[in-house]
Amino acid sequence: MTENETASSIRGDRDLANAQDIIVCEGVSKWFGDFQALNNVSATIKEQEVVVVLGPSGSGKSTWIRCINRLEQHQEGRIMVDGVELSNDLRNIEKVRSEVGMVFQMFNLFPHLTVRDNISLAPIWVRKKPRAEAEEQASSLLERVGIPEQADKFPGQLSGGQQQRVAIARALAMEPKIMLFDEPTSALDPEMIKEVLDVMKELALSGMTMMVVTHEMGFAKEVADKIMFMEGGQIVEIGTPEHFFTNPTEERTKLFLSQIL
Amino acid sequence: MNLKKSSSPNQIKTPSSIEPPNSQLPPKVAALSSTEWLKANLFSNTFNSILTILSTAAILLIIRGLLSFIFNPLRQWSATATNMRLLMTQAYPEHQYARIWVSLGFLLFLTGVSLAFWRAARSVLISQVGKRLLAIGAFILLVTLLAPFSDRATIIWLAIGVFIAGTGFLLKSAQEDKTISSMTLLSGTFLLAILSLWVIPYGHHSYISTRTPKILAEPGTVAMTTKLPWTIMLAVTICSYFLGSLIRDKIDESKGKALLSMTWLISPLFLLFLVLRDPDFDTGHLFSTDIPIFLFFSIVGSLLLLWLTNPDIGEKGRVISTAVLFVGFATFLFQMLMIVRILTLVLAFFALAAPTFSGQKPARIRYTKVWIGTMVILCWLITAINTPSTAKVPGDFFIGGFAITLMIFFFTMVLAFPLGVLLALARTSKFPIFRMVSTTFIEFIRGVPLITILIFFSVMVPLFLPDGMDLTEIAAVTIAFIIFEAAYLAENVRGGLQSVTRGQHEAAEAVGMTNAQKTFFIVLPQALRVAIPPMVGQIIATFKETGLLAIIGIFDFLYIARSVIPGQTEYMGSTRENLLFVSLVYLVICFAMSKASQRVEKRVGLGER
Ligand SMILES: Nc1ncnc2c1ncn2[C@@H]1O[C@H](COP(=O)(O)OP(=O)(O)O)[C@@H](O)[C@H]1O
Ligand SMILES: [Mg+2]
Repeated sequence: MTENETASSIRGDRDLANAQDIIVCEGVSKWFGDFQALNNVSATIKEQEVVVVLGPSGSGKSTWIRCINRLEQHQEGRIMVDGVELSNDLRNIEKVRSEVGMVFQMFNLFPHLTVRDNISLAPIWVRKKPRAEAEEQASSLLERVGIPEQADKFPGQLSGGQQQRVAIARALAMEPKIMLFDEPTSALDPEMIKEVLDVMKELALSGMTMMVVTHEMGFAKEVADKIMFMEGGQIVEIGTPEHFFTNPTEERTKLFLSQIL
Repeated sequence: MNLKKSSSPNQIKTPSSIEPPNSQLPPKVAALSSTEWLKANLFSNTFNSILTILSTAAILLIIRGLLSFIFNPLRQWSATATNMRLLMTQAYPEHQYARIWVSLGFLLFLTGVSLAFWRAARSVLISQVGKRLLAIGAFILLVTLLAPFSDRATIIWLAIGVFIAGTGFLLKSAQEDKTISSMTLLSGTFLLAILSLWVIPYGHHSYISTRTPKILAEPGTVAMTTKLPWTIMLAVTICSYFLGSLIRDKIDESKGKALLSMTWLISPLFLLFLVLRDPDFDTGHLFSTDIPIFLFFSIVGSLLLLWLTNPDIGEKGRVISTAVLFVGFATFLFQMLMIVRILTLVLAFFALAAPTFSGQKPARIRYTKVWIGTMVILCWLITAINTPSTAKVPGDFFIGGFAITLMIFFFTMVLAFPLGVLLALARTSKFPIFRMVSTTFIEFIRGVPLITILIFFSVMVPLFLPDGMDLTEIAAVTIAFIIFEAAYLAENVRGGLQSVTRGQHEAAEAVGMTNAQKTFFIVLPQALRVAIPPMVGQIIATFKETGLLAIIGIFDFLYIARSVIPGQTEYMGSTRENLLFVSLVYLVICFAMSKASQRVEKRVGLGER
């Protein structure tokens, strides 16, 4: 029960009922060669909503989330992000990408740049900010993710948890409307998972629209507005955390939950 | 800005900044005494002992053979000594020699300042220096005993060997933590070498090529025209090092480094002009055509690019830059100067790339500066290549020997490098046409022997040139070298490009970078780091390959040693002596380059992530 209370206090005062749809997927399908990785995926995500995507490994979670900023291209269906339809038009893609931040499982920081430069590079060259302003923003973002003293180090000198927080700061520096997380804590040692999850919770609290693939059930219960369960490239079930963890309707969901809980 | 300073890469490598302060030192391994070492490494069992004895005997025999060749009274070493000027610069007129010294002095000045800026000095343990000296002394003693010296020479050399070994022995037992800066050591060595020019009677040799060539061979120290300039050169280097260390702390270090790198790249162009300009060079064309064209493109291009790098320009910009590209292609349909065509095309590429580098005022101004810099280099190169009075070869050639070897090597490196990177990018690009052209080019060049390409360029290409275009042979073979090396460098860079993980590409794409930005800021810097070791290997190979110039009859270092000097009536049979000297020079330079590259590798932190 206590968990639900914290959850409601985090999800707090957002008026999701009247919020606009910001990500719309309609019948999205994707094949790798002959193998169908996404099968007719349809879902909408509202502004300020926090959606957690669950599912067994290989169920297409990464593929789906990567389609949303077009790191992968879907072959059928439509994806609209903040009113822009993803197509082969390069300008649309660049526009969408600068509004959608992404955090990867393996961090993917730029190893040849300092932490500060990792964060300020894209604002300077993509958003065309003056350098001084971008560096100031980098400092305040580092403060926000709790590592202001690491600005002049290189990624290789940081711990995994610190690296992932820099990666979050790097994505936030573009002032995105949506943040995508693909298993952000899976590559971390247990003692570092919490520091990253805390940053993500703070982000959720600040009203960021988030789509999170994770295996952290605690995080899902506490922070998610909606849980989407995928298997075999399909969305099997969508529901609130209460619904999902207490009385799921689908057999496959029950099976999955029984395996991991 | 001050914060950025401490982020310089060499900062990371100091382990103390990472380790907790009170970490324990690893236990010391007791050093083996020399007898123990011998026993453990050379005489550990019977078979090893036999091998050791046999190979020592073989090495001694080889050294003895070499020494008796070198010190055979039949050897004409004076052929090399007398012809030193010929070997270095060939027919460069003596009264113009100041130009060469000024150029060399400027390069050494840059070297000194750069060494200070990149903090090349290390501290070396004095006991380590002692061990080195001991080894050198022992080697001299060995050589003296093996060489067929006269009694007097033997005594002198034995004394020298004992002196060096003794100094080494004393230093070896110096306090363990006493160090000396490697710069002090280096300049001390050079100081001794140059001092010896003033003191030791090397003899004064010279080949005076008047109508009836005269050979000068006097006892005494070397000529004033040798020892004085070299002394000045050493002084310039040392002073500039101190100057560099002084200003290093006064100005923004990264800016200073950028300025130095630019100067390194650009100055040889102007020095070359200084060295090679024919005394009666026609400057009329320069003022009437070349400079006005340069000014026109600099100004008009800058204005255009300033406007195009405005972030809000949008669609209009793309239309205009495409239009410039079409104008560039169209220039080939009409009669006009080649330089105009090339510059228009380059301007079009700059215009097309403008959105990538657009931004606030400083970024836009920086982009125009890059444009003007490119103009300076391009206009200069085109002028130089189109000016027949620079570097005339062969016949009434102006310069040759080691100077021409260095020159061709330098231009090959400076131009093959960017070309190689471009080829590698094209070969890995998404556009099939780029891929195809680049792959064909690379595979073709790599499938043809270098000597074939050289012959083709020196003999065939001048025949195909359109009327009015003139390519000196030196320029032609330099171009041949450039495309050959570019093809090989491209493969090295491609290896580096492939080593950049997919995650890096995706991370760059995910923050909205365009393809050009991703390549320029993320992929290339990482790829080049990986490619440094194979590229340095390639550079060293290139230096040695310049010897092929001798085969196509360019008066390079090797050609003079092999063919020109033995052609002088006095030195008919001196080929072997000259070749030995030439190989020694090549050996020293290649060894130095490979040592330097090992340090560069450490600097860029290969293997560290
Ligand atoms: N680039 C690819 N090429 C071929 N198959 C792929 C590729 N990426 C993913 N797949 C396949 O698609 C399926 C879904 O993968 P993914 O989206 O990564 O699953 P999840 O993230 O849920 O573990 C898997 O079976 C995987 O093998
Ligand atoms: Mg996955």
